[in-house]
Amino acid sequence: MNMMTRFGVAASIFAVAVGTATPASAAGTTAGSTITNNVTVNFQVGGVSQNSVSASNSFTVDRKVNFTVAEDGTATTQVSPGQLAAVTSFIVTNTSNAPLDFALAATNRSGGTAEHGGTDNFDVSNLKLYQDTNNNGTYDSGTDTLITFLDQVAADASVRVFVLADVPLGRSTGDVAGVRLTGTASEATAAGSLGATVTQTAGANTAGVDTVFADTNAGGNTARDGIHFDEDDYTIFAANLTATKTSRVISDPLNGTTNPKLIPGAVVEYCISVSNASGSATAANVAISDNLPAQTTYDSSFGVKVNGTVTSGTCNADGAIAGSHASGVVSGTIPSVVAGDVRTVLFRVTIN
Amino acid sequence: MRFLLTLLAVTLPGAALAQSQVALTSDVLVERTTTDASGTARTSLEAPGIVTPGDKLVFVLSYRNNAAAPATDFVVTNPIPESVGYMGSDSAGAVLSVDGGRTWGQLAALSVRNADGTSRPATLADVTHVRWRMAQPIPAGGRGELRFRGVVK
Repeated sequence: MNMMTRFGVAASIFAVAVGTATPASAAGTTAGSTITNNVTVNFQVGGVSQNSVSASNSFTVDRKVNFTVAEDGTATTQVSPGQLAAVTSFIVTNTSNAPLDFALAATNRSGGTAEHGGTDNFDVSNLKLYQDTNNNGTYDSGTDTLITFLDQVAADASVRVFVLADVPLGRSTGDVAGVRLTGTASEATAAGSLGATVTQTAGANTAGVDTVFADTNAGGNTARDGIHFDEDDYTIFAANLTATKTSRVISDPLNGTTNPKLIPGAVVEYCISVSNASGSATAANVAISDNLPAQTTYDSSFGVKVNGTVTSGTCNADGAIAGSHASGVVSGTIPSVVAGDVRTVLFRVTIN
Repeated sequence: MRFLLTLLAVTLPGAALAQSQVALTSDVLVERTTTDASGTARTSLEAPGIVTPGDKLVFVLSYRNNAAAPATDFVVTNPIPESVGYMGSDSAGAVLSVDGGRTWGQLAALSVRNADGTSRPATLADVTHVRWRMAQPIPAGGRGELRFRGVVK
């Protein structure tokens, strides 16, 4: 659009820019803004100042759709087998010059090298998305909202999204599950509902606001498709427990404690030792239960000692009485077995 | 009634002079760089089709002296649109203002006052106006073109 106008001499030559252009931000001039250029000539003819002459032209700023989905943080999420609602976090940033909705989808990676190294070798389940409603960077159950899309993300705004997933049982330390969060640019037509997927303006430029995709191909993405994703991963850090059961004769009715033999009436001490391999996660609340042989009787005067130690492969006579016996089953719970440590459950029986 | 007539007398001359004097147009072109199959980058200037933030613009100001006499003290003044960042002039003789047109000079000679009272050297981003003052009269029928560059903020 070109216009030529003439102002009286009195008109200010410093004409203020006319138009609806809005202040620029990092995302740039808002889509739909009109940029109008005004130019003025002042001159004299025959030594006499003439009326100034002005001209202007305008064009409309089109919509540049650009955004990123990026992992929030730089490390894997360490999880235990069977852990529920394990959290990974992502940040969706709208660098378009217009507000947008974003459709979101969380998916499992299938094989290959995961985001933080290691081979993706299992899937998590029950993937859910939550918006970091209070924007504190931490998933807050009951506060952060369950979502399937981001609603009305302003130009230049960022939203943190948590992916929550359940980890299956039976996985070992170092197993990796990759997850991907994919965002699709959608129209911010109405608050509270996901708008239609944004499409690029096909063919020639129109007088109105056209749409151009500007998203990049970073991290394996396809450039200029209105879709962007990033990945994060869960890495298993499990305890690696081994249980060993040993027994020794304490006394018999004839020899006492001197070279006792396994004859009826002899007292036998059982030691169940639980070792946790070095480099493993600490095992907590390790519950031990043992069915007594039918030919034996539980020695209630000794009780069940829990959390004892082992020296050079031999169970020490330590630990605290904390276990129980009922109906021929001895039970004890070891509070904690750290990596590389061994802890025991000790109890005694009498041979019938 | 007499008062009204006086007002008309003031406003009419502008229209009466409209047919003569100087013709002026402002155009904008978008600079596009495309890379062909052989990897050679080509830059072209296009009409403003699809324009988005970050696009490079070339403003083209064309003038023609339609008067029968030379035009002297010929000054072309162009405020930089709010959503455009000034990126330099292709036409010699441009002087700049970073304070809305109050003071003028080369960029290196201009400074911007900070909020705390100190001042700093002006940068391209501070430019609010560009102006050319023609040293020579524009002869009758003479024409010319001035160009400056900008970027869509």
